[in-house]
Amino acid sequence: MVSPRAVAADVLVVGGGMAGAIAALAAREAGARVVLARRAPGATALSSGAIGVAPDPLALPGEPLRAAREPLEAARRLARLRPDHPYAVLGERLGALPEALAFAARVLAPLLAPPLERPRFLATPFGTAVPAALCQRSQAAGDLLAVDGALVVAGLRGHLGLDAALAAAGLERYRARGGPRAFAVEVDPGLGEVGLFRPHELARALEPPGAAEALGRAIRAALPAGAGAALVPPVLGLRPEARVPERVAAAAGIPVAELLADVPSVPGVRLQAALEAALAAAGVEVVQGALQGAGPGKPAMVGADEITAPRWVLATGRFVGGGVVRRGTLREPVLGLPVQAAEGREAGVDLAARPAASLTGAARSGPQPLLSAGLRVDALLRPLDGRGRPAADGLFAAGAVLGGHEQASDGTGLGVAILTGYLAGRAAARPGGGE
Amino acid sequence: MATRAGALSYLAWRALVAHPLRRLFRRRGTGLERFRAAYVAEGLGPTTPEDRAIGEAASACVACGLCELGCELAVAAPAVRALGLHAAFRLYSRSVAELPLATSALAACAGCDGCDALCPTGVPISRIVRHLRAKVLGEGAAPAQGDRG
Ligand SMILES: Cc1cc2nc3c(=O)[nH]c(=O)nc-3n(C[C@H](O)[C@H](O)[C@H](O)COP(=O)(O)OP(=O)(O)OC[C@H]3O[C@@H](n4cnc5c(N)ncnc54)[C@H](O)[C@@H]3O)c2cc1C
Ligand code: SF4
Ligand code: SF4
Repeated sequence: MVSPRAVAADVLVVGGGMAGAIAALAAREAGARVVLARRAPGATALSSGAIGVAPDPLALPGEPLRAAREPLEAARRLARLRPDHPYAVLGERLGALPEALAFAARVLAPLLAPPLERPRFLATPFGTAVPAALCQRSQAAGDLLAVDGALVVAGLRGHLGLDAALAAAGLERYRARGGPRAFAVEVDPGLGEVGLFRPHELARALEPPGAAEALGRAIRAALPAGAGAALVPPVLGLRPEARVPERVAAAAGIPVAELLADVPSVPGVRLQAALEAALAAAGVEVVQGALQGAGPGKPAMVGADEITAPRWVLATGRFVGGGVVRRGTLREPVLGLPVQAAEGREAGVDLAARPAASLTGAARSGPQPLLSAGLRVDALLRPLDGRGRPAADGLFAAGAVLGGHEQASDGTGLGVAILTGYLAGRAAARPGGGE
Repeated sequence: MATRAGALSYLAWRALVAHPLRRLFRRRGTGLERFRAAYVAEGLGPTTPEDRAIGEAASACVACGLCELGCELAVAAPAVRALGLHAAFRLYSRSVAELPLATSALAACAGCDGCDALCPTGVPISRIVRHLRAKVLGEGAAPAQGDRG
């Protein structure tokens, strides 16, 4: 048993996913003493590892590669169509998006590739293309608009997670629209007897010296003439510092990129690991455990630690992270803040008090009030109480705990986490907290 | 026709002779003992309130697989690789009759608690694994180490 310990800080961040980590790093850079409390990995570790900011709402479904608008312009369009979306709620402050993305790219520099003016179009294992404003270095070479030559989808023998022929056939559809030619090949990762691998096991097995190089050589041997880049399953190492993608590409002699991941997502775990490394490097104190407390200025308990800070950033995520829970009705469990849901023009706390099952619709493409339920905030990211006033002094919220976006499916999840985390962290670093 | 008559006479024999005789001479005992005598042999043990609490805790699992990253056994032991411990309780925690299928995976758990802090939805994994393990290996079968009750 560790003895109780009192910790004082300027800013307490609750939640260690993308939103919490970016908030803590932004507050730290602004000079604040920051403590971050986190219970476990959340949605960030389950994401594809590529950062969706704003799919262009005017893009035609069959023509994703044409929607090459820069992220801020796409986010502004989205905000005009979706008045509850955090991008719309932020008003003028949405203009900080490029700065926030540049900040994230900088603090996660070893992992993330530098952003382009346009999104990169990355391939899923199902052969579709998804725009990403920021992505990992291991994913960048797969940008469908940048491949120079044919794109080779390399399935790995013994890995059940990818049907390379299916992916290649899907990608061929984009050829008429500016995408590359796509082929499928199968390569043997050379990992010996072990028959079938799960993604995490394969990723770990590729980390030791020699393993990534052997895979690279196997890819090289399988390449057809005219190959410009190879796409492999998203299994290139769990730990960023093992540098598996770089080693595979060097041995293959051509750019190698990972496909986007489904769960369980190796690149998502890598993103979470990179966030934790950045927090440690910046001098943010991370405490492990579920936080219980009454809000800014009052002591909060995390395990045996008692943490007091005048300003808090609540970045507890949605259903996966635990920031919003279903207990009959929808609740925010840390501070008991009202959860709002919107259905068509109707919005409010009453809706969230309905049985959760009544907040889903049968039409898959229609709005799903349950999936966009969360906290309502003002333009300064201060959570609002039932009457629309800031719920507590010095309290900010960021990331998926904010309502108004379907974070896991609308293509804005990690973008919202970065922008709101950045703004909330900087606001919380200022003693006045706010303007 | 013959089979039908045979079946009916078998049922009649059970209802009129075998069952009354068994009632006359059956072992006395509490309801639980009699329930066990009748059903445990078929793999259908009684569901205790603790079992129900464990089933409820396990139902928060979203099958994300993150807990396996912290479980060294899931990498090392073939039985656990084939059936991760989280899969064991996802598949079998509510189906007592099938729980024995997960025996080797459950038996491999070292009780190290490496998994709990990795679960996004807060499933008390090591507690559930301990409970299922005790159930399938016989009461009191505690993991080698690190059991914090
Ligand atoms: C399966 C899936 C795939 C996705 N794929 C993508 C994608 O490809 N691209 C994209 O841009 N977005 C994607 N998203 C959305 C994106 O992952 C999320 O919107 C984003 O990660 C949210 O980040 P967050 O920091 O707000 O929450 P989370 O990452 O969920 O973090 C919440 C944190 O809060 C902690 N916490 C909660 N309560 C407490 C408490 N009481 N005490 C202490 N800590 C607490 C949790 O333990 C966790 O650390 C996906 C989401 C899902 C679920
Ligand atoms: S407690 Fe058991 S299941 Fe959990 S990590 Fe340790 S060995 Fe694996
Ligand atoms: S980490 Fe939790 S939710 Fe994910 S598979 Fe394991 S027990 Fe289930």
